[in-house]
Amino acid sequence: MVESAIQRVVACNTHAAAAGVEAGMLRRQAEALCPTGVVLDRLPEVEAIGFEMVVSAVEDVTPRVEVAEPGLVFVPLQGAVRYYGSEAEVVERVHSAVGTHGGRIGVAGGPFAARCAAAAVGDGGVMVVGDDTGFLASLEVGALGDSDLVATLRWLGITTLGELSSLPRAALASRFGQQGIEVHRLAAGEDRDPVPRLLPDDPAVEQRFEDPLETLDQAGFAARRLTHQLVSGLARLGVAAHLVVVEAEAGDGSLHHRVWRSADPFTESALADRVWWQLRAWIEAGGVPGGVARLRLAPDDLSGEGRQLPMLEHLWGTGGSEAWGRWQEVIPARMEAERSIARAQAVLGADSVLVARPQGGRLPGDRVHWRPWGEPVGSAERDPGDPWPGSTPAPTPALAPSDPPMIEVEWEEGMPVRVRLGARWEPVSSWAGPWRLTGRWWKGEGPADRYQIVTSVGAFLCLVREGRTYLVGVYD
Amino acid sequence: MTLTQPDPPQMQDLLQLRPGWVVGLVGSPGSGLTRLGLAMLAPPARLAPVVALDVRGWLCPPAAWEVGIEPERLVVVRCPQSQAWPAVVAALLEGVRAVYAEVPAGVGDNQLRRLGALARARRSGLVLRPLRGDLPAGVAHIRVRAEAVAWEGTAQGHGRLRERRLTLQASGKGAAGMDRLLMVEDDGTDALRVVSGLAAAPAGRAAG
Repeated sequence: MVESAIQRVVACNTHAAAAGVEAGMLRRQAEALCPTGVVLDRLPEVEAIGFEMVVSAVEDVTPRVEVAEPGLVFVPLQGAVRYYGSEAEVVERVHSAVGTHGGRIGVAGGPFAARCAAAAVGDGGVMVVGDDTGFLASLEVGALGDSDLVATLRWLGITTLGELSSLPRAALASRFGQQGIEVHRLAAGEDRDPVPRLLPDDPAVEQRFEDPLETLDQAGFAARRLTHQLVSGLARLGVAAHLVVVEAEAGDGSLHHRVWRSADPFTESALADRVWWQLRAWIEAGGVPGGVARLRLAPDDLSGEGRQLPMLEHLWGTGGSEAWGRWQEVIPARMEAERSIARAQAVLGADSVLVARPQGGRLPGDRVHWRPWGEPVGSAERDPGDPWPGSTPAPTPALAPSDPPMIEVEWEEGMPVRVRLGARWEPVSSWAGPWRLTGRWWKGEGPADRYQIVTSVGAFLCLVREGRTYLVGVYD
Repeated sequence: MTLTQPDPPQMQDLLQLRPGWVVGLVGSPGSGLTRLGLAMLAPPARLAPVVALDVRGWLCPPAAWEVGIEPERLVVVRCPQSQAWPAVVAALLEGVRAVYAEVPAGVGDNQLRRLGALARARRSGLVLRPLRGDLPAGVAHIRVRAEAVAWEGTAQGHGRLRERRLTLQASGKGAAGMDRLLMVEDDGTDALRVVSGLAAAPAGRAAG
């Protein structure tokens, strides 16, 4: 069977295997080895139907099954372990459910390690990894998939994940960007969802009040204290909640609950606000007769992000940014900033609040692709990565008038001598140029010359076109 | 005039924006202060978006990228109307950690004082660059005045601009009551180096 997009073999039957065909081989090679074979295209939807019985067999053991792709499921173990009593028991049950289909099982602290473990055993086998980090360190970098990055790592002499994870993350980040951080995190066993396999017990927090809370002040205080308890408890477990159920029992025994969900994991202040809003809504609407007698916060949708954030800490822990806040404050700081910018945008209009992106160009103003803040990133007209022969060299002038004004320059034998700045004429102390700029002839523009002109009060980038001089940049 | 050589890090501190501080940059266009102001936004920009308020529509973001601000982290707000200016800056200071704002002519002294108080209360950093004249007294913790700018790399038609040397005078509460002269080298990258600092005599005392 061949994946048509990459023209490589993904599966073959025993006859073909006997002829030497292997998964991963090029279609041409396979056809040469086994000319009588029939080549079929891979159909993931058909695979999904076939895989469905494996998924349902696992679902009979534990209800929480995440299907990643046909052929791969992740089973978070903590709930099942609580139910069956031990990890070995769960693994045994899953194995007896899928072993007949030749399923391979890997058990580890994180999904990436578990997947690698499953790949390492034979059909119908089970591999339980005790030490994720040690196991991952022994793997070849090919375990990260077949990307250009992996090829580059090999070329740099990094062959195992252990060698990769021993490199400083900041170094990988600066060399390979986000992708570098991602592979380093995988290699170190810190991939998505590093939820401990066993959460000690229910992380929910609850408080009863002898004297039910009736005023808003009391409720606000209690909300803040309970939130702190919950968030710091979760942080100790290395997880953060994306969803929190707020439950309140009224003095008369009636029960209220409401679910709050957030795309980013809840920080302490964000959660405290929401709990407070909810209590206030209930109290002000008279929904809790007799006051709040019991308050309970139950987290769900736990993710490992609470643990991963500190990993980013050393990425920006340099150059005086410490004074501006710690990593815990990043999400609230961004949310606050976005609210403020949105308010300014409401005053001035969408076209006055802008974000710039690099694009290719020769004049400073041309090197910027503007878009209104908050709008999706479009594609730049001109790729900044392309060579731009004749672009103005760095440093870039910090001011580049969008509509370049005329400027008076006095020339003597083709050399600038004096510039008029405001009411005064400033002598030119030195200058560089001219650099020719061919005009857009299709728009009827003639060629122009650029000059860097330096005076005692600063340097200016000027453009001379058809005898007139324009100010296109101020090196301010 | 008494000249002493203070510790270099202390001099560097004078050109750093801190939460709740107001820095005033005073000098004509070309004196190098826009780039200096943008460089002050770089450390807070590592955490959250920062804003540069552009009155004339002249601001050129590549200069900000060169001093170490990621393109996505710099929001440029264009505000040509001086009537809307105070309200916009106030809205920004509520949540944005660091703001570089050009001050158009026609903004009242009291409005600037109120914005300074707001920045302190919200613990936001504010860099003010008046386009004309000076800031009223008592607004800025540090007032940086451009004294001179010298460029290297160009001759009579040869070479290109490579490096500049700014002479700045820092004064105000944040400079501990002293007027200080700073020399700053800027080679077009994010490394802004204070190469020497001279402390002039404390203000109000006879120099000699």
